[in-house]
Amino acid sequence: MELVIIGLLGALASILANKQIAVFHDGFRPIVGNYLNGKIDKKTLGVTSFALSFGLVIGFGLPFSIGKSIILIHCILLATDIIGSLSPEGKKGLIVSGVIGGLFGVGLSLGLDLIIEAFTHLPYNFLPHLGSVGKPVVVAFAVFPALAVALQHDFKKGMYTLAAIFASMVLINKYGTFDISGNTVKLSMEGMGLLVGVIMMVVFAIRTGETTSSNEQLVSIFSQNVARIKKNWIYLVVMGAIVSAATAATIIAGDPISLNLMAEGQMTEAALAAFARGIGFVPLIFTTAIATGVYAPAGVTFVFAIGIITGNPWLAFPLGGAMIGLELLALDGTAKFLDRFAGVKNMGEHIRTSMNNVLEIALLVGSMIAANAMSPKFGFLFVVALYTINRTSKKPLVNIAVGPIAVILLGVILNVLALLNLWVVPV
Amino acid sequence: MKIVVGGQIDKKKIKDIIVNFAGDKVSVDVLGDLDAAMAMQAGQYDYYIGACNTGGGGALAMAIALLGMDQCATLSMPGKILSDEKIKEEVEKGKVAFGFTAQDADNVLSVVLPLIIK
Repeated sequence: MELVIIGLLGALASILANKQIAVFHDGFRPIVGNYLNGKIDKKTLGVTSFALSFGLVIGFGLPFSIGKSIILIHCILLATDIIGSLSPEGKKGLIVSGVIGGLFGVGLSLGLDLIIEAFTHLPYNFLPHLGSVGKPVVVAFAVFPALAVALQHDFKKGMYTLAAIFASMVLINKYGTFDISGNTVKLSMEGMGLLVGVIMMVVFAIRTGETTSSNEQLVSIFSQNVARIKKNWIYLVVMGAIVSAATAATIIAGDPISLNLMAEGQMTEAALAAFARGIGFVPLIFTTAIATGVYAPAGVTFVFAIGIITGNPWLAFPLGGAMIGLELLALDGTAKFLDRFAGVKNMGEHIRTSMNNVLEIALLVGSMIAANAMSPKFGFLFVVALYTINRTSKKPLVNIAVGPIAVILLGVILNVLALLNLWVVPV
Repeated sequence: MKIVVGGQIDKKKIKDIIVNFAGDKVSVDVLGDLDAAMAMQAGQYDYYIGACNTGGGGALAMAIALLGMDQCATLSMPGKILSDEKIKEEVEKGKVAFGFTAQDADNVLSVVLPLIIK
């Protein structure tokens, strides 16, 4: 079942990339637009796709997916961008990209299972420690709206938001457990904190009163692009439905925060985090889509939240599809909305920045704790060293992936040391 | 000279770096990525500079869509910063919009600013 879903996901996403209907990398979408306008040739398109996305598959997607039973979507959809763009045009391309994409999805899933299996054969199995890297994320993520508010407005409003988040967490922790006819219902502390923070974030953004007309101009300049996206609605709806179903089956996650929450079984929090992240992606995905005529295979990423909240692939499939349908219908209207509430549009980039910052520091601390648990002698030193020295590199790793990569490296090194009898495996 | 900071993230930091480097030789405005790209198209600015988390993603997306790829250069992406010579080449080719990964802002700007601000 799992392999069928992921195979279909890989196949259809590759075909959509091949037919220039949808690509996942937001920066690659305008380049596809240039290709459609005849400004660049097919070869450049393929090569650029590879250059943009390959490093992210290896350096971002894989570190978050290794050792977890959930695959970070970047592993799959960035790769299908490449597969689709490198495949030839026409009918042949349809078949080639579909087959390779499907095989890739299945292969990735089997490969990651194989890695988990391989861990158990190591002299020192550090898989449990690798899992604990995400622990701080699970609590700390709820703070991101406060940082987003501080980035967009000022320090003081950020502190107010933080105080409100913290206060609601304290209150829910104390009074958030109810007895309803014998069943204990426990409200999620982090979930409620996040909800309060997100509401404050949106209110602050609306109250800026900023307006613009650039989005509507964009829609009127590029009306034929909007028409092109809408013409392909059936493929996009099916794609979104599969992504949503795959998330509901906990095969994939849309971002590292909800991935870690899903791995801990905190589904409500994961859905909220995925939804809030989606808000941050609406302006970026809509504007790039309108300017290019190319959509995104997961839409504005709300399909992930739907998948998590339903928890049932059969239910997620139609609802996820309907979500994409709604997004396409709203394509023109949202542009007007974003103009009227320019503060909300600007909020998008601050949401993404703040989630990134929170994730970076939380993962770094999680990695240090994990590395220290693996080796109290070298652990802290190793992570700090890799993080700081990486920043001076001409080919630096993505900051937020340094922690997890450091823990994986340390695990490998400890195993080598154990084989050489230079290190004793703890009992 | 007029520079517009577009892109997705760390705009204020980028503006500060430019202002610190150039003082009052340039005027720097911070706009949304779409407004910035449109203003470039309308000829209101000489250069566009923007960052995002992937370099060339949100950093340059609207600039590439509106100005075309031949006007834009991605100076760094995750795992790779262009060499100083390569950055110089891009500037000499007449590119006017530059994007990079936010974490590389200091590195990249220290190379590119002396080349465009004379």
